[in-house]
Amino acid sequence: MKKNIVALSSHIAVLLAVILTVGIVGSIAAAKSGSEGANKFTGELEHGATLRILENDTAIKQGYLGELIAAFNQKYAEYGIKAVDANMDQYTDLENDGPFGYGPDVLYQANDRLMRYPDGKHILPLPVETLSCYEQVSEKAWQSYTNVVGGESYVFGVPVNAQGPLLYYRKDLLPENWETEWDDDKNGVPDMIEYWTDMYRYSKQVKTQNGGKKFGYMRSFLEPYFSVGYLYSYGGYTFGNNNTDPSDIGHSAGNAHLGAKVIRQLASVMDERCIDDSVTTGAYAAIASGEFFATVTTPDVYTMFIDEMVAAGMSREQAEENLVTVTMPKLPASGDLTDESQGFVDNKMMGGVQGYAISSYTKYPNAALAFVDFATSYEMVLRRNELLGIVPARGDVAEQVGGLSEIINGNLENGNIVVMPSIKENSQIWTPLQTLFQDLAKDAFRTSDIKYDTEDKIKAALKAVDKQIYDAIFTLKD
Amino acid sequence: MKSNVKKKTRASVFFNRCGIRCKVLFHKIGVAIVNFFRRMRAKIKATNARVKEVLTQGNGKVSASMLIMGLGQLLYKQWIKGCLFLAAQVGFILYFVFRGAKDFIGFFTLGVRESNAWYGIEGDNSVIMMLMGILSIIAIIFYIVLYVANVKDAYRIQSAVDTLKQPQTFTEEMRSLLNRNFYKTAMVLPILGVCVFNILPIVFMIVIAFTNYGGEIVPPALIDWVGFANFGKILSLGQFASTFFHILGWNLLWAILATALNYFAGLGLALLLNKKCVKGKVFWRLFPILAYAVPGFITLIAFKYMFSYGGPINQMITQAGGTAIGFLDIDAKWMARGIGLFVNAWLCVPSSMLLATGILSNLNADLYEAAKVDGANAFRQFTRITLPYVLFATMPVLISQFIANFNNFGIFYFLRGGLYLPEYFLASDTDLLINWLYNMSIDNNYYSIGAAISIIIFILTSVISLSVYVMSPSYKQEETYQ
Amino acid sequence: MKKKGGLLVRKAVDATLTYAILIVVCAIFLFPILWLVLASFSKTGSIYSFKGFFPAQYSFDSFRKLFTDTDMYNYPKWFANTLIVSLGSSVIGTALTILTAYCMSRFRFKSRKAIMKTTLVLGMFPSFMAMTAVYLLMTQFNMINNHFGLILIYSAGAPMGYLTQKGFFDTISYSIDEAARIDGASNAQVFARITMPLAAPMIVYTLLSSFVWPWSDFILPKLLLKNKELYTVAVGLMSLDNTEFSRFAAGAVFIAVPIVIFYFGLSKFLINGLSAGAVKQ
Repeated sequence: MKKNIVALSSHIAVLLAVILTVGIVGSIAAAKSGSEGANKFTGELEHGATLRILENDTAIKQGYLGELIAAFNQKYAEYGIKAVDANMDQYTDLENDGPFGYGPDVLYQANDRLMRYPDGKHILPLPVETLSCYEQVSEKAWQSYTNVVGGESYVFGVPVNAQGPLLYYRKDLLPENWETEWDDDKNGVPDMIEYWTDMYRYSKQVKTQNGGKKFGYMRSFLEPYFSVGYLYSYGGYTFGNNNTDPSDIGHSAGNAHLGAKVIRQLASVMDERCIDDSVTTGAYAAIASGEFFATVTTPDVYTMFIDEMVAAGMSREQAEENLVTVTMPKLPASGDLTDESQGFVDNKMMGGVQGYAISSYTKYPNAALAFVDFATSYEMVLRRNELLGIVPARGDVAEQVGGLSEIINGNLENGNIVVMPSIKENSQIWTPLQTLFQDLAKDAFRTSDIKYDTEDKIKAALKAVDKQIYDAIFTLKD
Repeated sequence: MKSNVKKKTRASVFFNRCGIRCKVLFHKIGVAIVNFFRRMRAKIKATNARVKEVLTQGNGKVSASMLIMGLGQLLYKQWIKGCLFLAAQVGFILYFVFRGAKDFIGFFTLGVRESNAWYGIEGDNSVIMMLMGILSIIAIIFYIVLYVANVKDAYRIQSAVDTLKQPQTFTEEMRSLLNRNFYKTAMVLPILGVCVFNILPIVFMIVIAFTNYGGEIVPPALIDWVGFANFGKILSLGQFASTFFHILGWNLLWAILATALNYFAGLGLALLLNKKCVKGKVFWRLFPILAYAVPGFITLIAFKYMFSYGGPINQMITQAGGTAIGFLDIDAKWMARGIGLFVNAWLCVPSSMLLATGILSNLNADLYEAAKVDGANAFRQFTRITLPYVLFATMPVLISQFIANFNNFGIFYFLRGGLYLPEYFLASDTDLLINWLYNMSIDNNYYSIGAAISIIIFILTSVISLSVYVMSPSYKQEETYQ
Repeated sequence: MKKKGGLLVRKAVDATLTYAILIVVCAIFLFPILWLVLASFSKTGSIYSFKGFFPAQYSFDSFRKLFTDTDMYNYPKWFANTLIVSLGSSVIGTALTILTAYCMSRFRFKSRKAIMKTTLVLGMFPSFMAMTAVYLLMTQFNMINNHFGLILIYSAGAPMGYLTQKGFFDTISYSIDEAARIDGASNAQVFARITMPLAAPMIVYTLLSSFVWPWSDFILPKLLLKNKELYTVAVGLMSLDNTEFSRFAAGAVFIAVPIVIFYFGLSKFLINGLSAGAVKQ
């Protein structure tokens, strides 16, 4: 009996010894790997590198990525560097894939997305001064890629493309007498394109004249990206201190309730489809068929409208002639679309900056940086603009192509385009805001239990939304 | 007056009965608990006695098996079995040396060094350590089970040899694994698979409830054990409790309605198609099958669009001169709930019909003949024969469908996601608890709180459904329809 | 004579009612599917150019594009991937499920009731984060971007749903088993030669349902398959641009084809139930 117990305990002892040894060996091995070098950007291009590039689907579909990769591979063949399509979902989350080695080396995403990565150090701080585009990109654009990590400020991405909403309208659907009836200031630009008050009046007219079958302005309010700008225009903001302080949420700040009122009023000249998102992708066909006169969306979908117009029977030239894009009309300072007496304010809109970042998990940081430099060069950004119709963040290219690009960059500069917050907490704003805008738009169609007929009720709703976002961010945070 | 009294007595009788039933129920539960502990004690005693027996009576060869698995069997010249046990031990030690020990320790420390991808420092990933730690514990349990089996086996051989019996040969044992012990052979793989891919993730989630995982603390940051702090946090937040009960009420109602609707609609459809007068059964059955064949999420997207303001239903309404209806919009509380039920039925009835068809095909037709002779009409035949039979065969399924509906994430996520209503904390009036958990944990990163709430939900639902199951005839009398 | 006439009338009424209900039910099931089919034949590719329920113009374009325009969205490849994953999981998963159910129904062993209760309870866990665990596990096993990993998860999870099949086995009489055992058959032989054929409808049901699950699942493959070439149809369709609605619809309609074929091929087993005659010895 005793013998047995001794045998058993010696058995256990062996096991314990094994466990301990493994533990110690393991920790020694781990400590060693810690002393690796700090700065990854040594300037020495890694020979034999294959870079996996994540681009957005439009760039792939329109053939831009193919051209970019071919040009890069040709130029860097002598260094043995090659770029390939990462062939992954365009919204892929580096936080999930990167640490396990499945992520791309270089990513192209919007700033709100890319700037979720620095906190976990998933993307590398970049020596942007060394890039050829450094001088050409505006301060505002760089700002959207700047973040403080561990007390120090770093730049994490390289802006390529500025994005902000534009007004699209059908020139051929303007009333025939617009020059006499709809151009009070006689500047040769129809008033409804310049002022929301006139757009409202015109839309109302179109809707009544056609018995609710045709519309002037139409756009779903559901997406905060396109709707929060009305609040911004009257003093609202998302986060305080230039969208960097998540503890200060300001959708109810200033006279933001006037913006909410505008939304409610504008909804009344559309139909119920502005409440949910069923017109968002439908707008292309509806503009093409003439059901809508105008809508607001981003510049990169220009070709969608043209394609639909061609499908509806127009020639391509005709379509391009008839479809006009301009910056947002001005809003009445009174917050009432039937009252122009107090003058006008600019319609601020939410915008974004898309750009490149480099994964911290790449084995070839220097080659990746070379790729980013190449992809943000004058020629490539110009080509990107030609193929995709994007607004280049590079000043020199914007100047070269002129038109909308210059206008949007100008709006970015003067603050009429407010770049989405580049902090992680930004992901909490969407659902509360989406609910609010849905509620406001719905209110225009409520026949009983109208919720927002007074300014106080609107103010309370905005306050509630701010609190909701605050709660979502902070309630459970210690 | 008189009738009033009568009513009163009736009511009191009813409540009395309820009271008695409750008492009986509580009594039963109490007895069950006491019995459970009694049985446990008896079991432990028996095990102790057995261990003592093996330790005192076992000879050198049994001890050899204790020291090195399979050694005793080898000494008894049971080559194949001995080698198998030995191989198992070598395999386990190799696993433990190269991976298991590190994982096991990691489960308790949850990492000491943070990684820093900027400097290429590969530190500890607490979440992975938690997961692999649980896996190593499962491996250790498996090893212990095997080890005990090995010692028992050696002792069995010894007893056989001592009583001058021929110990079972390897081929004999193999044969018994195909016969008397067939279940052991058959269940190894399923149990292994379920352990790794079902139990492990669940244990992982349970364990998360006791950490501070979430918010700012996600890898590469290191996670720590916090004990019951998360449960304390839930109790201390007023918003939580009110939202929780709001949603729980609706969730229970939903689960009951959805389960009943799907079940009876499926059964009804199967019965309808089983009727002799229906010609072309294959053709009729094709329609539900079509619904079954299109992936659920695609149908959900299609339904969402169909019920939207720009969708075909509203287009038809407006073309006919009506005003558009917000089937799923912000004000559509009960309408949206009803549509949810309908869409869910649309998705689930086909499979419940298939199942009922399969079960009905096995129903003994003689029973009907007998009933017909007795002059029972169709309704009586249904309530007396069909329903009890089908209920018996599908009771467990019914319960698992109840649970599946209780935790039905997809319906309202697709139909009415992205809505937070004022009376709710991060949820809407159609959200089920699982949607709420999703909003909190995935959208808002509060993993540990989400896990803690899911444990609470789990306890609630498991108590309800387990008691229903244990009381159901299909559990109590499995042989009824033999 | 009169009674007979009354019976005939009643039968006719009964049949009419039955058909009426069937037509309504089938219309309800058909409506969204029909709409999807119509959308897949829409010419413009957008559902918004529909005139009410019907597209403005019809064409085969989206189907043609689905199979020829594969640079960006390689539908044929996705289809093949889905087929591999679904077939693999269906066969392995069904085998495991049937075995488990059979054992739980036919054997009486120590931990049986405990296992039954545990599995029931486990299914109740709101496992919204189980996916995270599965993903992390698969990164450790190096099975990301791997169809086999998917098959493994699907088939390993399948036995959890054994209760349906167990309920079915419970209704099959023991006496046949015993007769065979007296003739000297082992339990394994009884299972293979007697129970299996009797359980054909249930096996078909299991095959079908464990085929459909991976076939239409979106979450798991989305999590485990990073490479677009490896996508299954469900993930691929979700990655389509939302202006490609008719292609989406075409893909969704086409993916239903194998299930319908599956159904027609096996409906004989499902419906007549081979056991119908055999069970009632």
